[in-house]
Amino acid sequence: MPHGTYHALNPTTKLVIAFAEALVAFGVRGWTGPLAVLVVLALTALAAGVARRMVPFALATIPLVISILLVNTLLYPGAHDVIVRLGPLAPTWSGLTAALQATLRVIAFALSAAILGLTTPTDDLLSDLERRGLGRRGTFVIGSAIRMVPRMGERAGEITDSQRARGMDTQGSVIRRVRGVIPLAGPMIFGALTEVEEQTMALEARAFSAPARRTVLRVLPDSGAQRLVRWVLFLGAIAAVAAEIAGLLHLP
Amino acid sequence: MSIPIAAESVAFVYPDGTRALDGIDLHVAEGERVAIVGQNGSGKSTLVRQLNGLLRPTEGRVLVDGRDAAQLHVAQLAARVGLAFQNPDRQIFAGRVRAEVAFGPRNLGRSGDAVDRAVDEALDAVGLSGTADANPYDLGYSRRKLLAIASILAMQTPVVILDEPTTGQDARGVARVRAIIERLSTEGRTVITISHDMRFVAETARRVVVMREGRILLDGTPGEVFGEANWPALASTYLEPTLPARVGARLGLDGTATEAALVEALQARRG
Repeated sequence: MPHGTYHALNPTTKLVIAFAEALVAFGVRGWTGPLAVLVVLALTALAAGVARRMVPFALATIPLVISILLVNTLLYPGAHDVIVRLGPLAPTWSGLTAALQATLRVIAFALSAAILGLTTPTDDLLSDLERRGLGRRGTFVIGSAIRMVPRMGERAGEITDSQRARGMDTQGSVIRRVRGVIPLAGPMIFGALTEVEEQTMALEARAFSAPARRTVLRVLPDSGAQRLVRWVLFLGAIAAVAAEIAGLLHLP
Repeated sequence: MSIPIAAESVAFVYPDGTRALDGIDLHVAEGERVAIVGQNGSGKSTLVRQLNGLLRPTEGRVLVDGRDAAQLHVAQLAARVGLAFQNPDRQIFAGRVRAEVAFGPRNLGRSGDAVDRAVDEALDAVGLSGTADANPYDLGYSRRKLLAIASILAMQTPVVILDEPTTGQDARGVARVRAIIERLSTEGRTVITISHDMRFVAETARRVVVMREGRILLDGTPGEVFGEANWPALASTYLEPTLPARVGARLGLDGTATEAALVEALQARRG
């Protein structure tokens, strides 16, 4: 598939693909759901030519992954299959398994959002959603979330640079790298909050809440095949999760 | 406490193919006070990031104190070249002003009294001594900007680079930044400033480097760079000469980039 083919899909189709991937990754228990989604994501990323650009998004999950690994491995409720006793700490196999599965889900979710962000101009997606009747508040929330992905990457790069300029060593041992996350978190969170606040005020200043109906400026190409794909993916993902909840799926 | 720094035939291409620097030759001697100016996207910030190793040249080399910067880690270069970024909010993370300023010196391996002294001096220099225990996010933007500068000053590096230090500052803040630069210069440290404020540049720098499209367009004293002969070159990169330079030119006096230079030239003409 030429790189442009995936990029050229209707934005709503790519949104539904990302939604279905996230739903299966989180809704289908065990290893199968998240692993299957990761395989699909890898193939899609290669086909769309964005595989390398997705690496920073996978790396951005590291702080969350570390906390998932620590909490689950050490504090998994009801687990007695201890791996090794380290003083008061008793990591368990059950906890480790649950942690690794949760890690795969988080990475699958991050990458499904990343691939959508990297292949879809936000304005196109918002324009398409608005044309389909999504209210402007809903459009704004989705748009903000998507815009946040590349912005967070860019911001993380600049924050890391500014801390490295003050002698923070981000290379070498894992402990050094983990220590390097702390000076990253504060400016990231503060910056994101400030940005959202300013953006909200700027929107209100430009009559965001005005009741007038807005004109759709451009209609993006769509097709019957894409409509079919969207419904199949949407209903298929819901069916998979429903089957999982009902205990009909017996996957590893 | 100063070292020379140089870029030799430095070119840099970003991963997306943008050629941000194209054959830069810049030698800054010990204790020089240099301003780098140019339109947005001219390569100023990319150039200074080469000087402390945050970016590495794709061609050419950077020499810091005579040593090829390619052989030094960023953490090692940070002990020699301090760089205060334009946006303080992409730097500040600590819950207390004092801890924020101590971050750099501690990374450089300093401890105890040495860190305390460096932090106190840096906070004093930027006028934030009274806020050492405050939360940085409780300070206004201009003071957070000064805090970011203090956190670089506390590292006591021989070379200090300030990226747009006067952005968001009122007249008092600009005067404070000017005083900081003059003090650093008095101590013999090399200061490189990026700025769009031509008045500030003319009054603070001894040497002005004008960049355009990744190349050095002009390099000289403020009097030379803002001289009438260079106005077309300045205009080509969307810069204007300072008001005293324009007034001086109308009066037939060239090289009057600052009010002081203009007054001096007028007095000299009167005899």
